[in-house]
Amino acid sequence: MTFTALLLFYTAIAVFTWRRLLQYLRFFQQEGYNHKRFYRWLYDQRLLDTRFTLILSSLWFALSVTPSYVIKIGFLFIASASLAFISFTKELDPRTTGKVRLVMTSRAQKLAFVTQLLFMTVASLTFYYSTAGATSPLSGFGTLITVALVQALPAFLMVSNFLLRPFESWVQESFKSDALKRLHSCAPYTVGITGSYGKTGAKAALGELLTQCLGPTFWPPQGINTVMGITRSIREGLNQHHRYAVIEMGAYNVGSIKRLCDFTPPQAALVTSVGIMHLERFGSAENVYRAKSELAESVPSDGILVCNGDSHNARRMATEHPKETTLLYGLQPGLGNLDVYATEISFTAAGTTFNLHYNGLKLKVVTPLLGRPALLNILGAYTMACALGAEPHYAAACLANLKPVDNRLVYDKQPKVSYLRDAYNSNPIGFNAALEVLKAIPASRRILMTPGMIELGEAQYEENKSAAITAASVADLAIIVGETNREPLLAGLKEGGYSDERTVVVDSRDEAFNYIRENGETGDLVLLENDLGDLHEGRVRF
Amino acid sequence: MQSEKRLRIAVMFGGRSVEHEISVITALQLMLAADPERYEIIPVYVAPDGRWYTGKSLLSREFYRLFPKQAHSLTEVTLLPKPGTGGLTVLTPPSVLFKGAPASTRIGSTIPIDIFLPVFHGQYGEDGCIQGLFELAQVPYTGSDMTASALSMNKYVCKSVLKEHGLPVLPGVLISKTAAQKDLVGVTEKILLTPELSRFPLFIKPCNLGSSIGISRVESRGDLPGALAKVFRYDESAIVEPCISDIMEINVSVRDNRGSIEASVVEIPVSETGVLSYEEKYLRDGGKKNGPSQGMASLTRVINPTDLDSTLRDNAVELAKQAFDILGCSGVARMDFIVDLKTGILYCNELNALPGSCAFYLWARSEPRILYTDLIDTMIETAIERFAKSLSLERNIELRALKR
Repeated sequence: MTFTALLLFYTAIAVFTWRRLLQYLRFFQQEGYNHKRFYRWLYDQRLLDTRFTLILSSLWFALSVTPSYVIKIGFLFIASASLAFISFTKELDPRTTGKVRLVMTSRAQKLAFVTQLLFMTVASLTFYYSTAGATSPLSGFGTLITVALVQALPAFLMVSNFLLRPFESWVQESFKSDALKRLHSCAPYTVGITGSYGKTGAKAALGELLTQCLGPTFWPPQGINTVMGITRSIREGLNQHHRYAVIEMGAYNVGSIKRLCDFTPPQAALVTSVGIMHLERFGSAENVYRAKSELAESVPSDGILVCNGDSHNARRMATEHPKETTLLYGLQPGLGNLDVYATEISFTAAGTTFNLHYNGLKLKVVTPLLGRPALLNILGAYTMACALGAEPHYAAACLANLKPVDNRLVYDKQPKVSYLRDAYNSNPIGFNAALEVLKAIPASRRILMTPGMIELGEAQYEENKSAAITAASVADLAIIVGETNREPLLAGLKEGGYSDERTVVVDSRDEAFNYIRENGETGDLVLLENDLGDLHEGRVRF
Repeated sequence: MQSEKRLRIAVMFGGRSVEHEISVITALQLMLAADPERYEIIPVYVAPDGRWYTGKSLLSREFYRLFPKQAHSLTEVTLLPKPGTGGLTVLTPPSVLFKGAPASTRIGSTIPIDIFLPVFHGQYGEDGCIQGLFELAQVPYTGSDMTASALSMNKYVCKSVLKEHGLPVLPGVLISKTAAQKDLVGVTEKILLTPELSRFPLFIKPCNLGSSIGISRVESRGDLPGALAKVFRYDESAIVEPCISDIMEINVSVRDNRGSIEASVVEIPVSETGVLSYEEKYLRDGGKKNGPSQGMASLTRVINPTDLDSTLRDNAVELAKQAFDILGCSGVARMDFIVDLKTGILYCNELNALPGSCAFYLWARSEPRILYTDLIDTMIETAIERFAKSLSLERNIELRALKR
């Protein structure tokens, strides 16, 4: 009987840890399986278990005060049942719930399995030694250790990750060499794209443009910009018929673009901007410049370099690493020579209208994409397409058929409340551009819904505040989501002349949508500016 | 015909065209309507990736919501391009876990088929591709043959052939994507210098697509480049026509009843915007909001309108039969006309070698009334007759040159 009860009890613990483990894994995955960042997040959250600890301590207390053997067994059953109960009611499955869900990749599966195995082994061993010779099936010491082990679940996850690392890198290396083989046999003309922002949008626009103007083009979907991501998409998507490949290259530190260039050597490069994003990762603005320059350096001298002339450092790159064809594009002709630029820009519900200037031509263009950042991406893609031999008139005509990238300033017209969706990674330039579009599109009431911007280092407070000052002159109502930037946003709105009744403060995105559902009126236009992942929105509690 | 000697009919549908789903809807309707006493229906679903599957679950509409997750429960088959196989060849049997698969589904075994009934719309199914495969495999199949299908699918070729025979068609200019990519300004000039196309609005259509995808109505010179770029996303060649401002569409279904050509009543599709968009033509669902789409059978339309000028109607019916004959069609087709309401002139617009819902809703209202079940009977009988004729042709294949 004791054995059955204990077996049941440990099965309940196993079920519980599995459910809990998956939740940790979700955040571990969001942090890119990076130990340092995951630890930082755990520390910031002060994330400790309460549910399991509470049940176990109660059990220990109950067992120690009960002399009767039968009642002790009874308590074990009750504890097992409550563990199983909270496992399925409180420990929600992160694969099916939450904003950014856990994706059970083969790596995640292995990691979860190994962690669970490791945990159960350690838990069983400690149980065996702590109960040897004891009268109660669960000693005080045993309880303490089991609770400690559950509290240490993230550590188990990290240890398993460490153990699996040689295997993972072996798998990755074999995938990489497979992708390289395919790349060499297909040999597409490769265009590398980098920039502090705008590279994903520019990649999609260039991929579309080359496909329509010049021939089959391959580009990794969404924001894939790492060696592993590119490896995977090459293995899944690149074929013999692709004439061009457009590769987005992410700079995470000095040298990372160089590695990507060695992997997929570019014959042409598009630099969308060199800013001060992720400054804390690089140390200095000069390092950011050096990191991005690795792309221009990798392009052979008879290649093509296209840079955003509005960005001071991108312009500098064009001067310092000139190629046979070096072109500049931008929206600010005042900053110096531009080969491609736009004038008479206007935003409407149908998209952006502008005059495109290239090589003495002036072409009227209508594109469904909205906002200045999107416009810059289009200009960059257009310049590159023309440099690669696309007919300028035809390429300009193709701009009318570009599709907006999800959540990057997409106008979503609805019979009641319409939306401007700009939930993707906000930055100061994007925020202001979105406000400009919010102002331009007809609406009876304009609403801003935002948690503010993050990852801006020391400037975060000031940048959020100044964006809120601008917002005060555009939006009739502001909904501030979460605590992260609440203070600077409220301060900015107030400085912009907002009265208290025009601001709504909520704790989560869901709450904000509820507010809109209940208070939205026909003709309202809501700008959804930025959306913080689960990592930053609110606190996680176990 | 006795029930144990039922004909085994492979109904083929889906396919690699944008009208994939419409084809599934047409096929589901047809398989329900076919006489179970006379035919044993073997559904053959061509998935969007071009794989062919067969299995009883393909008869249920629900199944397609789960596809391709449930693909392993089906038998993957193919038709080999050589005469005498006697049916479909099994490529991959259903997964062993799936119960109820017939024992005859080993790799390489044959699922016997007596006649093929393709119900594809658009590319690779309505344009002669699959018909070419049927010819190679020397199997009987319903509907238009390879040449007639290809002729009617290409809007420019179809227009030229009908024009050659004196049928009224709208003027049009053919533009190739290659030409536009090289010199868009030159192509624009070419369009605007064509006498009949010198005035806006114009109409741009992809040359080889059956649905309304890629179509634009161009109001001014400034819209022309964007519209051309749009159409060339979908097709290698496009046709530019004048856009008649006040139009009415008239459709007539025509069929081949063992050699004699018959026409149905006419219908007038009703549309608010002047052009039937893809959504309007196929996804709009009559009065039944939120109900499952019934394809062409659910379009807002007036069938056999009583207030239609009888000369116009008779003219349309006559021209439709002629066009069917000129292009060499068979089975059930639908000819779409455009009437310029200002001049009263009727133009042949396009011929659908395999119309949505097989135009059964028109035959059901015709005089004499022909039910879907009977329509299918005739399609099959006509096909068998045509196949028998083709077999009786003398094939003088003497291999001598190499045997000397």
